[in-house]
Amino acid sequence: MLKYFVKRLLRSILTLFIVITVVFLLMRLMPEEGYFGENGVDKLDEAQQEAILESMGLKDPVYIQLEHFYTDLLKGDLGESLIFRPNVPIKEIIAQKLPYSLWFGLFALGLSLVFGITMGITMARHKGKLADKLGTSYVVFISAVPAIIYYLFIQIYVTGILNLPLLFDVEIKKSWLIPGIAMSLGSISGYAMWMRRYMVDELNKDYIKLATAKGLSRRKIMYTHVMRNALVPMVQYLPSSILFTIAGSIYVESLFSIPGMGGLLVSAIQMQDNTLVQALVLIYSSIGIIGLFLGDVLMAVFDPRIKLQKAGGGR
Amino acid sequence: MALDYLEENYETFNQDLEDAMFEFADYDAKEAERTGYSNYSYWRSTWRSFLKNRIAVVLMLFVVFIVGFTIIQPYLPNQYEPTVVNISEETGRQLRNIPPNDQFWFGTNAIGQDLWARIWSGTRTSLFIGLIVGLSELTLGILIGSIWGYVRKLDTLITEIYNVINNIPRTIILVLFAYIMKPGLFTIIFAMAITRWTEMARFVRNLIIIIRDREYNLASRCLGTPTSRIISKNLLPYLVSVIMLRLALAIPLAIGSEVFLTYIGIGLPVDIPSLGNLINEGRVFIMVSALRYQLLFPAAVLSMITISFYVIGNGFADAADPKNHV
Amino acid sequence: MSNLYQEKNIVLSVKDLIIKFELRGRVLTAIRNISLDLYKGESLAIVGESGSGKSVFTKSFMGLLDSNGWIDQGSILYDNKDLSKFKREKEWLDLRGSRIAMVFQDPMTSLNPLKTIGRQVQEAIELHQGLKGKEAKSKAIEYLIDVGIAMPEKRFKQYPHEFSGGMRQRVVIAIAVACNPEILICDEPTTALDVTIQAQILNLLKAMQKKYKLTIVYITHDLGVVANVADRIAVMYAGDIIEIGTAHEIFYNPQHPYTWALLSSLPQLGVKGEDLFAIQGTPPNLFKDIEGDAFAPRNPHALKIDFLMRPPYFKLSETHKAKTWLLHPKAPEVKKAEVLLNLKENMEEYRHV
Repeated sequence: MLKYFVKRLLRSILTLFIVITVVFLLMRLMPEEGYFGENGVDKLDEAQQEAILESMGLKDPVYIQLEHFYTDLLKGDLGESLIFRPNVPIKEIIAQKLPYSLWFGLFALGLSLVFGITMGITMARHKGKLADKLGTSYVVFISAVPAIIYYLFIQIYVTGILNLPLLFDVEIKKSWLIPGIAMSLGSISGYAMWMRRYMVDELNKDYIKLATAKGLSRRKIMYTHVMRNALVPMVQYLPSSILFTIAGSIYVESLFSIPGMGGLLVSAIQMQDNTLVQALVLIYSSIGIIGLFLGDVLMAVFDPRIKLQKAGGGR
Repeated sequence: MALDYLEENYETFNQDLEDAMFEFADYDAKEAERTGYSNYSYWRSTWRSFLKNRIAVVLMLFVVFIVGFTIIQPYLPNQYEPTVVNISEETGRQLRNIPPNDQFWFGTNAIGQDLWARIWSGTRTSLFIGLIVGLSELTLGILIGSIWGYVRKLDTLITEIYNVINNIPRTIILVLFAYIMKPGLFTIIFAMAITRWTEMARFVRNLIIIIRDREYNLASRCLGTPTSRIISKNLLPYLVSVIMLRLALAIPLAIGSEVFLTYIGIGLPVDIPSLGNLINEGRVFIMVSALRYQLLFPAAVLSMITISFYVIGNGFADAADPKNHV
Repeated sequence: MSNLYQEKNIVLSVKDLIIKFELRGRVLTAIRNISLDLYKGESLAIVGESGSGKSVFTKSFMGLLDSNGWIDQGSILYDNKDLSKFKREKEWLDLRGSRIAMVFQDPMTSLNPLKTIGRQVQEAIELHQGLKGKEAKSKAIEYLIDVGIAMPEKRFKQYPHEFSGGMRQRVVIAIAVACNPEILICDEPTTALDVTIQAQILNLLKAMQKKYKLTIVYITHDLGVVANVADRIAVMYAGDIIEIGTAHEIFYNPQHPYTWALLSSLPQLGVKGEDLFAIQGTPPNLFKDIEGDAFAPRNPHALKIDFLMRPPYFKLSETHKAKTWLLHPKAPEVKKAEVLLNLKENMEEYRHV
């Protein structure tokens, strides 16, 4: 078990290292205009531009830049924002944004776990019947239609019905709910679909036949065997989804003008704030890697079979 | 041997059975073989299961109609150019924000362009992007997947690359590439293809390994079946169904990604009509209920197209799965 | 019916059973009019090649047919109830496990991989013996000892993947026995196991039968299994029992050409340097109506009437009957293959498996 964890951890660290390096190198390919901040390119002559780039260390050879970058990163320094809030450490900016994303993320996560898993179980239990068909229609709609469409309609009509302002308002309590609900719609559909699929898979396995022959009722088989076994692979996705909902939905936050991390990424991109974009991309990528790592760890804890198997990367 | 019949068969016994019936019949070895089950054809069963899925069939007809319509729409009479700003002949002013009427069926936008023409032009762009993304995903996926499966030396390297790409959220990769490169059609297609080839490649690799190692193929080869036949009978059914699924799903995904990238400001330039640009333009007016048609119309067309392709793709994948051929 | 039949206690009686399936829009008749009595305490082996319907037949005793299959006609009488009329799950729940239990073919997949062995045995005990908690657990350990699992306390807490195939099958048997059934159906209980393990499992089943006074139905295509354990043998072909009798009668006085063919193809009867006997052709298409004797097209000794009329049972003794026109008084004499005449000697070695 321990050996598996160590191996898996080393793998994740290696992946993280590769990803950070690649992202950093890709960002060096960016046009240099993004580094001149509020002055803009036009106001500066070539010598001034050179001076600015030099002072930021961007004229150094790439490997030296990379070395600096890693030294700073290990100290927990993500650099400073260029345009969004010039010369403010990115760490500080994110620290201010995080509480909002945290609230909406956890709220949406709670909703989607409760409703998504219940929905998946209901669909599997009534496979092929009305409940399953309704659930499937919901899943199809959510997966096929770009999220912005239904977010926009929620923004227009639900806020209208509840008599709320279109945008998020810290002072109004109800306005803390709608974006969270909107954010949960997608993950509800995801959880429901996976839960249903895993349960149906389990239902077709041989051990269900033995359990039936043993005299267990279908209901009991559903709850004590199928649901339990189907939740194990679900566990794998849990850390990723927790981390991502915490990191905030890019769409919802910017749409409702919530001052969270997702909205921050959109603003940074629109303002072409290179260092901020770089930092956020790195944060999101790391979250992905950490999430998958934790998922595998949880899976190993819950599935007794994994202890004996080799760590199979991506097979 | 003392023979007597069981009671329930007494009637049979009493029947007059002709002596001639008790002669030996001719034994025909071919006749003995002929009775087995071989009425199963993969493609026929696939097609039949697909036809059973009524919704998918209806949506398929709808998609054929829509695709056909987007192609011929510019050549129909009384159509406006999607990028031309319409100007009133009487006042010489731009015909801005005109609600739907018999002249402009879907109304005009904030600078007087015909929304009807823009929606179909945008649909064309989006379908084009989807098709190209789908095709490049297939080409890249099959190419890399084959190398991955056949060249054992490269297995570790490609697996590592796959793991790295797979570890980062797709949206972030999309954003990163769209951000680094110049906004435009190529960038969008490139960014999407980069995030999508991995699954196809993995699938092809697994197929090749199955062909190489799975017992029934090994057995088949030992019996002297040529590789071409193994490929056409054992591999092609899997491959074709997955290709159809991926192609069909590339459309809603491409539309979704384009809308997303355009929304955050790194999508297509505003002068190319696309569903993303239309949604983005329409979004501005959500405060004004009279102008909401500028969001509603593109949103409705977009939703119908994405849902149709999604349902057809999954319908075909289900139909192609032999497990569902019952 | 003779006295002999009545003396033997019939526990389960199948009458004129027809089972059909719907497959890809077409109807297939899997069981074509079978009648069979099962006697208390006996072990009956149902023998046939794959697709002959032997599994489907016994699954219908427990309401375990796949959802596309149904009992079209006939009755299954057990405990004064007609099982073929059962509709609701509740009716089956009173029967499954507690009256009839089943051991499945593949022990690798018939246990829940995420539950400990002990829990799965305990589940059966709690369900059918009214015990709870500690009592149920100690009872479960007793059953594990019964089926020959060493260090049962330790094994109780382990998961299926920590067991070998043979050990898992022992656990499956423990579960079945722990339900306290009257009838045990063993569906190919040794097919998925190593040859060396097979005999152990069969001996275990025999021991369990003695200890818990079980009536056992073995389903198998392996005559080796049959020779070891069966009191009576029913030979199935294309959804029908074409010959039934005591093990002795079937092995040493087989009457149906299919039974001959089946016995002739025993690998143990092969002679060095000669090809093994193989039955030519393929089983009939069950989607079509079968006229006459289903085996006729593959039968080198087929009579003309075999293609026209379905043979009735011809009774050879109180226990032995066969469905073949060759037993009709008007039928010509057919010589059995030589191997079958020497079967007795050959089988002597074979029985020591």
